Formats: sequence, C-alpha cells, structure tokens
Amino acid sequence: MTTGTRHPQTTLATTRLQTRVAVATLPTIEPRRRRTRGIGRRICIHLALLAICAAAILPFLWMVSTSLKTLEATLAYPPRWWPDPIQWQNYIEVFRNPKANFLLWTRNTLIIAVLGVAGTTLSSALVAYGFAKLRFFGRRTLFVIMLSTMMLPFPVTMVSLFAMFRWLGDTTGIAFLGTFKPLWLPAWFGSAFNIFLLRQFFMTIPNELSEAARIDGCSELGIFWRIILPLSKPALAVVALFAFMGIWNDFLGPLVYLQRPEQFTLALGLQNFQSKAGGTSWHLLMAASTLVILPAILLFFLAQRTFIEGIATTGTKG
Amino acid sequence: MRSFSRKFSNVIKTAIVVVLGGTALGLLAFGPRATDEFPPGRVVVDYWEKWTGVEESAMRAIVDEFNDTIGREKGIFVRYLSTSSIEQKTLIATAAGVPPDIAGLYNQNLAQFASMDALEPLDAMAAARGITPDYYKKVFWDECCFEGRLYGLVSTCYSIALYYNREIFQQRAQSLRARGLDPNRAPRTIAELDAYAQALDVVDPASGRIISAGYLPLEPGWYLNYTCLWFGGRWWDDLNKRFTFTDPGVIRAYEWVTSYSKRLGKQAVSEFRAGFGTFDSPQNAFLAGTVAMVQQGAFLANFIHNQKPSLDGKWAAAPFPSVDPTLPHLKDVTYCNCDVLVIPRGAKHKAEAFEFIAFVNRQDIMEKLADSHCKISPLAKVSEGFLTNHRNPYIRVFDDLAASPNAHPTEPVPIQAEVDAEMNNFVQRLAMLEVSPQQGLEEMQRRLQAKYDAFMADQRERRKRQDG
Amino acid sequence: MASVRRQLRASVIGLAFVSPWLIGFLVFTLVPVALSLYYSFCSYSLLQPPLFKGLENYRTLATDPVFWQALRNTIVYGAVALPLGMLAALCVAMLLNSKISGVSIYRTIVFLPSLVPAVASAMLWLWLFNSKLGLINTTLVALGVSEPPQWLASPRWAMPALILMSLWGIGNTVVIYLAGLQDVPRELYEAAEIDGASSLRQVWHVTLPCISPVIFFNLIMGIIGTLQVFATPFILTGGGPARATYFYTMYLYDNAFSYLKMGYASAMAWVQLLIVLALTALAAWSSKRWVHYQGK
Repeated sequence: MTTGTRHPQTTLATTRLQTRVAVATLPTIEPRRRRTRGIGRRICIHLALLAICAAAILPFLWMVSTSLKTLEATLAYPPRWWPDPIQWQNYIEVFRNPKANFLLWTRNTLIIAVLGVAGTTLSSALVAYGFAKLRFFGRRTLFVIMLSTMMLPFPVTMVSLFAMFRWLGDTTGIAFLGTFKPLWLPAWFGSAFNIFLLRQFFMTIPNELSEAARIDGCSELGIFWRIILPLSKPALAVVALFAFMGIWNDFLGPLVYLQRPEQFTLALGLQNFQSKAGGTSWHLLMAASTLVILPAILLFFLAQRTFIEGIATTGTKG
Repeated sequence: MRSFSRKFSNVIKTAIVVVLGGTALGLLAFGPRATDEFPPGRVVVDYWEKWTGVEESAMRAIVDEFNDTIGREKGIFVRYLSTSSIEQKTLIATAAGVPPDIAGLYNQNLAQFASMDALEPLDAMAAARGITPDYYKKVFWDECCFEGRLYGLVSTCYSIALYYNREIFQQRAQSLRARGLDPNRAPRTIAELDAYAQALDVVDPASGRIISAGYLPLEPGWYLNYTCLWFGGRWWDDLNKRFTFTDPGVIRAYEWVTSYSKRLGKQAVSEFRAGFGTFDSPQNAFLAGTVAMVQQGAFLANFIHNQKPSLDGKWAAAPFPSVDPTLPHLKDVTYCNCDVLVIPRGAKHKAEAFEFIAFVNRQDIMEKLADSHCKISPLAKVSEGFLTNHRNPYIRVFDDLAASPNAHPTEPVPIQAEVDAEMNNFVQRLAMLEVSPQQGLEEMQRRLQAKYDAFMADQRERRKRQDG
Repeated sequence: MASVRRQLRASVIGLAFVSPWLIGFLVFTLVPVALSLYYSFCSYSLLQPPLFKGLENYRTLATDPVFWQALRNTIVYGAVALPLGMLAALCVAMLLNSKISGVSIYRTIVFLPSLVPAVASAMLWLWLFNSKLGLINTTLVALGVSEPPQWLASPRWAMPALILMSLWGIGNTVVIYLAGLQDVPRELYEAAEIDGASSLRQVWHVTLPCISPVIFFNLIMGIIGTLQVFATPFILTGGGPARATYFYTMYLYDNAFSYLKMGYASAMAWVQLLIVLALTALAAWSSKRWVHYQGK
C-alpha cells in the first residue's frame, strides 16, 4: 500500500508482537507445490491474474507511449496507442530543457541518497547490535521507547524541526536550512524501523561466535565489525535498498526543506516542472516521469530477491 | 540450459549495475553543480521569478542587459532563477533565513509578506533615486505600499478590459440586430453584455450542449475576486479594516456570475469548460473562437499573436461594462494587477538588489519590458512611441483605464493567502451551484473577519511586547 | 564487586553502541515533539517570536469548518481505501499463491507499481484521468459510456479517482500477504479437506485465522499511512475541486507554510497524533478477539 509520505523518519508501526527468533535466513517465497486441481480452475486463475497484471502494467505502457509522442499527437482525439512518428528527442529535450535541470536534480538526489543510505545503514547496525547482543541498564525501556517512535506522524515534528534547524543555524553558524543537511543528517542517528529489522536479524546469529572472539580478547567494536557485519550482508542489503528507495521517492521532506531551485531533488523538480502555469507538455512530462521511475525499476530487477524478501520480513516479523 | 539462462541473467544484472553505477558516479563527480559559472569578482544577486515561456525570455533579456551595463560597472551579477509556487517558496525561504535577494511576487502577496515583517521597506532607497509617488500611476503605487510604506516596485503590470471577437460579431450581425444590438461596438452595460452573450450563444437544442458561447464569467475566471467592482461593491473596507462581503454590490455581482450557470445549466457549462485548451495554446477558448468575449489583461494580445495569428486584427478591446456607467464611480472601471519585485528580509545583498530593481524602473527599460510582455507601463509618464508602436493595437484603452480614477488595486489585506483560498473555494462552489451567493458570502464574512481579527490581535500584542 | 564493575563496564559499552540513536532521539524527536506541543499553544509565524495563547488554537480548531472538512475527507478516504486495498491485496495474494506456471512473472508485474515514486505516479494518473484525452475516459467512451465522469474536475468523482489510484499500488501489501500465506501449514488444509470443507470454508476457517497477524500488521500500517496522505492529492487536485479532496496533512501544510500559522499547524499535528494513537489502540484491543498467533 503506498503511504502518503516516505520521509526517512516515517516508519512502520509495531505493537505487541511475538519475536520469531528461530529463523536463520530470510524466508524464500517460492510458491508451495500445492497442486491446483482441475484445468478449468487453472485457466480461471490465469485469466484473473492476466487481467490484474494488465491493470498494473497498462498505465506504464501508456506513459511510455505518451513520452514518445509529439505535442500534437498527445492532444489528438481520439488518442492512439502507437506514437507516429516516434519522437525519441523528447528524452533529450527533457535533459536540455532549461526549466528542468534534470541532471542537476539527479545529482542532488544522489548526494542525499549516498549520504543518507550510508548513515542509515551504519548507524542502524551499530544501534541494533547494542540492542541485540549487549546488556545494559535500561535496555528494555529504551527499546520500547524506540518502537513507539515509529508511530509518530511526521507532521508532528515537521514544523518544530524546521524551527530547530533555523535556531541551530543561527547559534552554531553552520547553515542547516538551505542545505541538504536536514534531509540526510538525521539518518546518521539511526532509524527505528531499520534498527528493529537488524536487531531481529542479529539475534539469530549464534552467540558462540562472539563469545569465542571475546575470549580471544577482541573488543566489542571488533566483534561487531569483523564478525557480525560480514554475516549480515543480506539484511544490510535490505536496509540499504529500502533507505535508498525512501530517499529517491521522498517528496514532503524536500518540499519543506529545499526552496532554492538549484537544490531541488528529482521528486521536487518533477513537480516543479509540471506545476508551472501555461500549457502542460504532457509528452515531456511523461518522458521526465519515465526517467525518474527507471532507476527504481532497474534496481528492482537487480535485487528482486532482496526486495521481496525484505518486504515479506517486515510483514511477518514486524 | 538452466546454467545458460542463469549466466544470461547475470550478464544483464552486471550490465545494469555498470550502467546505473557508472551514471551515478559520473554525475556525482562531473555533474552540474548548484554554483553556476558567473564572472568572478562580482556580487551575485539571486532573483527568483515566476515566469515561463515568452515572458521569461523577455525578463532574461533585461537581466542580461543589466549584467552587461550597470552590472559590469558596479560589479553586480543578477542570477535569474525560474521557480513555481514562488510566493510559498519565498515565504518559507525567508522564514528559514535563506531568502533570495530579489523575489518576483504577485502583488497580492505584498500585504501578507509586509504584515509579517518578511520584506525590507524600500522608501529610503527609492527616494534616493527619485522614485516617488508621482513617478507612478496612483493605482500601482498604492499596490506597492502597505500601511503607508513602500515594500516593492513594479516589474510588469496590467489593467483588464473586455476583449471581443469582431469577426464573430459581424458573422452574427443579423441575430444581434434582431435584438436591437449594434454589431459594430462592444456592450456598454452589464445588461447589454448579457444581451450580447445570449444572442451569440450557440446551444444544441436537443442535448443542451453548448457549442460556443457569447460570454462566460467563468472563462477565464481569473478576476472573479473583483467582479464586485463593476457592480459598485467592495469586499474590503480599508478605512475601518473590515470585510464587507455582504455588501449589496458584492452579492449582486455573484448573483450575476451564477445567472450564467443557471441559464445554460451547470452540467453543460462544466462540460463546455472541460473542453477548453490551456491558456497558452491555440485551443484557448477566446483564441479558438469558442467564446466570443472575455475579460482579460493587455497581455492577451501577445498570446493571440503568438498562438493564433489568424485572429490578429479581428478582435477589439473596450472598457469592461459596469452596471451603470453613467454614475461617476462606475465609469471606466478596471482592476489593476502587477508583478512586484521585493527584497525579502534577511537578503544578503540589499543595495545591489535595489540597483537592479531601480534599473527595471527606468522609463526606457520599463517600457521595453512592458512592450515585450505586451502590458502597460506603471509610470505616470509614458512615451508616445510606446503607445503607438505597442504590440497591442488597443493599448491606449488599457493605459487610459489604468489612469482612470476608478482603477482599483488589489485590496491590501494581510491574510491574503487565506482570503484567496476561501474565495477560490467559494467561486468553485458557485460554479457547481452548490451554494447561493448570499449564503456563501455570509459564511466567508464570518470566517475571514474572525481570522483577520485574531491576526491583528496577535500583531498588536507583539508590538506591545516589543515596545513595552 | 568485580561483577558489578563488569556490569557497569558492559552497560557503558552497550550504551555507547546505542548512543547514536539516543542522541538522535533526544535532538530529532524528543525536543521537536516537546517544542511542537509548546507551539500548539502559541501563535507562531517563525518570522516573529511565538506568542503564548493557551488553548485558543484548539478552540479555533473545534469550530473551524475547513478542519472538519479535511478530517472528514481523510476519514472517508481511509474508511474506503484501506479495507478495499486490503481485500484486493488479499485476493491477489491468494491467486498468486496457486501452483501455476509463470507465477513469479505475475508477482513481479503486480509489484512494479509500488516502486514508483509518489510524484511520478501522480503525474501519470493526472494524465490518465484527464477528462478529454485520458486513457480512462477514452476507454469508457469506446465502451459506449456517452458522458464519462469528469474525475479530478468533479467534486463527486475526485475522491473515487484517488481511491482507484490507491489500488494501483497495493503490490507491497500483496507481497506481505503472500509471505503470510506461505506460512500456513499444509496439514491444516489437508485436515479441513478431509472434513469435507469447501474452498471458501477453508479460507474462512484456516487461511484467515493463520494470517491474522499479518492482516493486523497491515491494518496498523494502513491506518498510520492513510492518515498522512499528502503527495498524491497535493499534485493531482491541490485539494479541489471545492475542497473535495482536501486532506488533513494538506491543510496542516497550508497552515504551516502558506499562511505561516505554525502554532495552529502544530495543534493540528497533535490532534492527528491523538487520533492515530486512539485508532491504533482500538485496533490493538480488538485484535485480542480475532488475531491468532501461531504458537512457537
């Protein structure tokens, strides 16, 4: 279900849930080999799924079709599916268009993404290790507090964070507002959802490994870095992937914190591109939208398993 | 076989990684940066503006001219940045402490920004340049002031009048004459406007579908907040700082607006309007001949010339009719609007920013800009050449209207953003015939007056604490 | 004595690991939340210092018709889109759970739309819902509907349009349900079959209870997400026409960043938080009755 915002601080909620510890690896999702009886039944299922997939994919095809049309062709009535002539220049036009500084926006988004993903992954792993493997005073209370912050809607802190960044900038002399910092700095302090995910995973790593290292005189940090992390690559991949997608798709965050046009991210820039008064060039807009969606889809095909298993884990373990 | 397909998918995956990763790295390393190239050693003035298309190019030309002349002399470089939702972005940026040096706002935003202490007052800088109230036409100077202080100067401005399609008038001359109307001139009163509109409507009798209309208040519907002016009503009493939405003139105005939806049918009107093209295209209702008369600003001539040159010479402009033009306060009524250049509070380069604003307000530059935007000049003095060579053959109509004593500025209400939101909502509901004008206006009166009173109470409290 | 010292040392190390989150929590969560509570009792524009006004913001909220309209719109959307989406996702997941060829391709295609950034998705649907040239209306006309609805331009059809659009992105939920369905032990189905239960009864008595934790999870997620809907209506309709699709977070955003009434916006945010907490608590309390955790 698409939620309204996916600000890095927006997280999923948990309430009382049983933690299922006995899972060494993330579950696979190959369909159970339960025989579906009857050829008639099978055909019905195929037809139903075909219809659903058509509904899912038709909008994409329409988008690509529009993106290759000329402006007149988009305004033609009744509209046709196959663009004639096929105008590949639209994509070049999107890059060259002065009011759509596409490359700049992409670069901005990448900067925030790299910083944000690195921050989230590293800090969440550190904190998760603390909650999973170490005993300390107040561990349970802090963990419960952390879980409950997942329920906080972003608007509650949106306004005061804005004021706080302004105050920080004024007092420390380091500018926060008007830079990218508000968008990636909080990521370096851990994200509750990712901490939870990684903690669950770390708890499945047998303690004997870290015990042995401890006896050998290794420090906790060393154990964390040299033993736990390498074993957690799949879980870390999930965290990194979702953090990236969250930043790539984030709209409300950049809308609030970025005003200077030269700092816009892709999401904000795309909306800026569309909302300018005057004629909407649908063909260019669709081309731009396709370009924005493309990396997400390519990333998905690259890391299908990670994606699907990550989502499944959140649902079943969450 | 399986290992082959596995290898194949691995190759594809590696290819994707290389393409994505390579592009990402390339962009990060060599991609465009926020700091564009500008000549070193100059003070960079950030100028945020709302325009696109032709209007943007016109302003960019002026910016380039400034950079090449005065900018070079005094070491200033103005950087033009086009942005949408400019009023919101400027407000937030000012609140964040990182505003642009110059912002090109709509004049409706001026009162709100000024009342919140978001703008630098320009009185001193302007007076030093000889830009005083008599330099401008009165209506535009009023629009740049709030509570007696100057907060901005005009970049472009316009007044509005009635455009009518002479070709359609001539084609339907017979049906006009049959109703005693003269096809060689524009309507002069509201009653005449209604009569002309009805005579020119083409409606399919069977389905009620509107094929073309004589006039429709909702098209383009940009100035519906000020329709009351032509009915002798105002919704803001600046002397007593009160809203007067239930003024009889205001109620009459909106009843007139709904009369068209009632006569033609709200569904028919809604479908008719859905078929209009966007403003800046040949499918614009007036350009395409779908609507024979519109209320619009001087700049429409530019769009006609660019998008539908075949319409050139076939249209004319006249003062928009009022309810009774024999009355002194209802003769030559117009609503004037302008785009203002302001300096937000906290801007880093105020003096340099004002250099550019003053440059734009020089008579020759102002007239050049006004001509390229196909608008009028806000200055009291206008050169003969400007009027004679203007792109809009009826520019004198617009210019005279702006100088008329019944040229009205935007109401200087501090809570303008909320007023706009409420009035837009009201008009949309009127179009759906969801609410009667009387009812809707009463609601707005209550709500907005309460908001205004609360806002002013806060401001007084703040001032007390500051002084006390 | 030594064990106390060791415990202390262990605590220090543990807290050190957790410190990034702890600091972040204090700076980016606790302080802003407290500040926002304070602002909700003030009139604050950020350009001028805050002015304490007691409960006035809350009192104004109670009588603000726009607030009630925004709240109503949000709840109506949630009450329809959430159950509809969950039901649709469950059905699709059950279909995908069958053993037929090419299931993984189907699953991929169903999942794709949820990858799309909200902004791009909004642009796409803006184009699809175009009353004259959009794919939806041209298809309806081709099917013989003479006067298709105006969708985003009509106060009656704008909300249904948004709800329809939300169904496109259920891929996420489908995958979660699918994982849950996989976990249902086969023995239970076989036992039911032996007892002579039809497919429908099997679903009601075996499938649903087993995946009830997953349903519960999606319900909580959905409540929180739906109450915060912003990007999609912001771009598709801007809240119109006539505030028919004016959602809660949009009004909050307008108050904060268009009217610079940050105090009022903070009050709205706290009301939102309280509603979320109340609904979540309600769901959690009701969960005792219908959520069955598989023992382990």
